[in-house]
Amino acid sequence: MERFIDLAVSAVLLAGLYATMAYGLGMIYGVLRVVNLAHGGVIMAGAYMGWVLHGRLGLDPYLSIPLVVGASYLLGVGMYKVLVRHLPRGAAGGPASLLLLFGFWLVLRNAAYLLFTGNDQSITTTWSTRSVALLGTHISATRLAVLGVGVLVPLGLHALLRHTHLGRAIRAVAQNPDSCTLVGVDVERIYTITFGLGTALAGLAGLLSATIFAFNPGSGSGELLKSFVVVVLGGLGSVLGTGIAALILAVVEVFAILVMPSYLTAAVGFIMLVLVLVIRPGGLFGHRVLG
Amino acid sequence: MSRGFRPPAPPRLLLGYGIVVAGLAALPWFTELTVYSHNLMTLAFLSIAGALAWNWMGGFLGQVSFGHAAMFGVGGFVAARILLAGPVPAPLAWLAGGLAAGVFALGAHPTLRLRGPYFSIATIGMGEATRLLFTYWEDFTGGSSGLSLPIQTDMKHHLYWWGLGLVALVAAASWLIRHSALGLQLLAIKADVDAAADLGVSATFYQDLVFALSGAVVGVTGGMWASYFSFIEPNDMFGFDRSIAFVLMAVIGGVGTVLGPLLGAVVFVLLRQYLLASYPQLYLGLYGLLLIFIILFEPLGLTGLWLRLWRRLPWARAEA
Amino acid sequence: MAILETRALSKQFGGLRAVDRVDLVLEPGQILGVIGPNGAGKTTLFSLIAGSQAPSSGEVLLDGRRVDGKPAYKLVRAGVVRTHQIVRPFPNLSVAENVAVGAMHAAGRAHGPVRDRAVEVLEFVGLAERARAMPGTLTLAGRKRLELARALATAPRVLLLDEVIAGLNPSEAQALAALIRRIRDERGVSIIMIEHVMPAVMSLSDRVLVLDQGRMIAEGSPEEVVRNQAVVDAYLGESHRKASA
Repeated sequence: MERFIDLAVSAVLLAGLYATMAYGLGMIYGVLRVVNLAHGGVIMAGAYMGWVLHGRLGLDPYLSIPLVVGASYLLGVGMYKVLVRHLPRGAAGGPASLLLLFGFWLVLRNAAYLLFTGNDQSITTTWSTRSVALLGTHISATRLAVLGVGVLVPLGLHALLRHTHLGRAIRAVAQNPDSCTLVGVDVERIYTITFGLGTALAGLAGLLSATIFAFNPGSGSGELLKSFVVVVLGGLGSVLGTGIAALILAVVEVFAILVMPSYLTAAVGFIMLVLVLVIRPGGLFGHRVLG
Repeated sequence: MSRGFRPPAPPRLLLGYGIVVAGLAALPWFTELTVYSHNLMTLAFLSIAGALAWNWMGGFLGQVSFGHAAMFGVGGFVAARILLAGPVPAPLAWLAGGLAAGVFALGAHPTLRLRGPYFSIATIGMGEATRLLFTYWEDFTGGSSGLSLPIQTDMKHHLYWWGLGLVALVAAASWLIRHSALGLQLLAIKADVDAAADLGVSATFYQDLVFALSGAVVGVTGGMWASYFSFIEPNDMFGFDRSIAFVLMAVIGGVGTVLGPLLGAVVFVLLRQYLLASYPQLYLGLYGLLLIFIILFEPLGLTGLWLRLWRRLPWARAEA
Repeated sequence: MAILETRALSKQFGGLRAVDRVDLVLEPGQILGVIGPNGAGKTTLFSLIAGSQAPSSGEVLLDGRRVDGKPAYKLVRAGVVRTHQIVRPFPNLSVAENVAVGAMHAAGRAHGPVRDRAVEVLEFVGLAERARAMPGTLTLAGRKRLELARALATAPRVLLLDEVIAGLNPSEAQALAALIRRIRDERGVSIIMIEHVMPAVMSLSDRVLVLDQGRMIAEGSPEEVVRNQAVVDAYLGESHRKASA
């Protein structure tokens, strides 16, 4: 029973991280119809940003959130302006955009390798080992913090999309870019901002996960896949859907430890994807992401 | 009458094909190839066959797979297991490996309901899941210590011709697919799945078919690869880098063109040989940059460059 | 016996009934016009019949046998084919190749006959001269003919035409209307056509069915339908809605 509560708690804590990752991927897709294949690479980059700030400047990872988010935002703006914007017209969702962003991922991987070698790294702070007693178990303080950020940030973004002028413009562009141009919305600017916000979320997710898991330049493909599973499960642009889907993925992943050898848990995301495709091709909430 | 249809194989093309294949087959007897270049060409042949087969999926159907290493590994390990089990002629073992890989590819059926980017991401997952599964299935793959195959004298030397034969077959198949009813339907699916379905084309059927065929060819190359190195290890055979290689070769040469991937594979193999020797720390990033440049400036890769050059030549202009 | 029939065919999207218990009967050799205000569910009705979408409830019968829920590609092989309001040629294939894709599933023919059929259909619709052209170079009228040719190449018995005439200038429209009549008369294809261009529907159709908000509000000969008060209201209602919007 105690083990059960342990696992349940760590699933909930993990879900916040997954929601953040997935929201970034889903947001870019929802507005630009481009799947950011470099998503995993940006997550990896975010982890290294936090690691450098902590290692070199002694900055606590939670204090470095604004810096990492800002830098990732700029990275995303750059990616959009230098790469994605120059895709041939009509190629947005096609193989060209995939290959382009995949190429960028390879560059990121190589850059990280050159800068930081291929060794596994992680961020350990003085309070990493501390834990909080809750529900009869001990919960590590970092994981709790990750959950907090992972819940607050998507909710904040949701509020931004609902209640600000910019958010309304973003949602309008997602619906119909052509008529937005007609009514004077600067669609290019919205695309740039959205791509920046999506990668900022990815960078944040990388920073958060670096406080829990080890990472290296090759990290990211697992994260990309998990984000994708959550998007397929939860649908686009719905904070609640994303949250529930992230929770489902985290629960399945955590409890899989009980029934399958630990080395296979890395494949749980994929197995779930296949199951979803077989059982509910339309996604859990009926939002079709499939072509 | 071929109004508006793609023409049948012109005799000139057939002749050229025959001359190139025969010339390459005879090459080792006419010139003193060093062992190094003989072997390098063998590896190039295997890569070419894989790149051409990947292109059936990624180019003709427009479904970019980042998981072809799964079929490569399955083909390799099945062939290796058969060769270890008893005195079976190697080509039979390769064929069995290819068959197993083709059947394995059919297991990806659920992911083939996905289109475009979703399919691509799912194949990343498929590749990764397969790698984990086989790495830990030690009874079959020997785990991370791998499998050593029985040494067959001259196998490495003879693989030159086996590899060439495979390339000849797969290149011909690529041309035939592209110029047949099958190819038309693949292009129709690539352009618009729904419109194709409204004309009676079952996208699911053709995607399964092409994925299985493509996987089978890649499986055969995996088997040959195993024989060539006489040692294979799951993390290498199933590795993500291997999946990436198929993508890069096809993109460099020209995605969706008939013979571009052939060219791309040659360039890729030579370039990798050079980069690994001179800039081992940069090689992945340089390929990434290459990919970016190709997509932004010449989406048809080397084939596109060739077409541009060709149009500038005076006689080509006169013809048009 | 009717060649195609629907019984209480319905499609629900969330709380919205896009198609609501439609009973439609198409007799062999007939042209059935489907009219109705925008958003009446006409195109959805086609999607349900052609298998592009599965109905929420109700039946579709072809020659008295149920075909509802079958995927589009199977219905094509059974002899039911649709065209799209917004034409969707394969831009990477020539005009002839576009038609050939349709011809391939006519009855599982080999390569040679596919080509013959494609050429024959191109001549029938008057596109033979443009066989080698890429679809992007055709005029709108040309692309509508191509859309028709592709569908005809599948050798259908039931052809569903979604606004093939709309958007054309009067002389093009007249030519296309004549072509539709020839499809019925010379090829024996039964046709259901959605159309906004009233003169065309009224002159071509043997019977007309009127949809409003997913429901059948009238059905009968063209003369009967134009005199029907419910139909007049539905259309007036639409112009009222437009005026106030």
